Amino acid sequence: MSSNHAQPSNPDNSLKIDTFTCVWCGLTVSTLAADGRRRNHCPSCLHSRHVLDQAEGGPSECRSRMTPISIAVLRNGDWMVIHRCVRCDTLTSNPVCTDDNQLILMRMAVRPLAQPPFPLEAFGDL
Amino acid sequence: MPRRKPASSRSGGRREQRHKDVLHGQGQHRSQPFRCVGCRLDVPGSAPGTAHRNHCPNCLASLHVDRRVPGDRAASCRGRMEALSMSVRPDGEWLIVHHCLSCGALSANRIAGDDNALALMRLALRPLRDSKVAGSALLAL
Repeated sequence: MSSNHAQPSNPDNSLKIDTFTCVWCGLTVSTLAADGRRRNHCPSCLHSRHVLDQAEGGPSECRSRMTPISIAVLRNGDWMVIHRCVRCDTLTSNPVCTDDNQLILMRMAVRPLAQPPFPLEAFGDL
Repeated sequence: MPRRKPASSRSGGRREQRHKDVLHGQGQHRSQPFRCVGCRLDVPGSAPGTAHRNHCPNCLASLHVDRRVPGDRAASCRGRMEALSMSVRPDGEWLIVHHCLSCGALSANRIAGDDNALALMRLALRPLRDSKVAGSALLAL
């Protein structure tokens, strides 16, 4: 997730050159995405960091790694990544960036179909 | 229908599920039937495959009453929770991610044995329904 040094009060200058290191894959990522939005997960492995409290909106004291667990679709068709914190089990949802790893996104989207809990042959009769 | 694999074959890396002692042995909430907020179906409290039925087997809607421990009834929200997406555990078990329409909280719940298979399948296929996004993702590979 975003780094310690980001200054939300001064987004124009500090964010442009600001980077953070992914806690999972170690990639150094610029905090500002190409479309001007702030990143909240690594574009390569989609892992995030629990630094924002989802309920209260303030900074969180957990600071643990968050793994992507599923893809949610909004009513307008946009994809969201659901993250789960490995330490406190909090779930958050974040919008997908344009340069996010499409292979991991598609893998998460089709993951339920790899191990269906019921035989899918019954759906052929519908 | 959710598969419970034997303990030996389960993936070893996953942390054990948090111990839940609330209301489990007392037979209180477990046997309580409820009426679904979404489709008004009268749902019996006991569900195959799980000790905590927390969503309607027909429309998968839920109610925001529990906080962290299933059955604790500690949340004051009581808002309606809609099924948002489908997630999968490392051992292959499906989880429904519920989204509270009133406070925005998210929670992940295991599917039960009598859940509507068509509703589950629609939820799992939701990311692939819009061919625009999925198609562009495949083309980018």
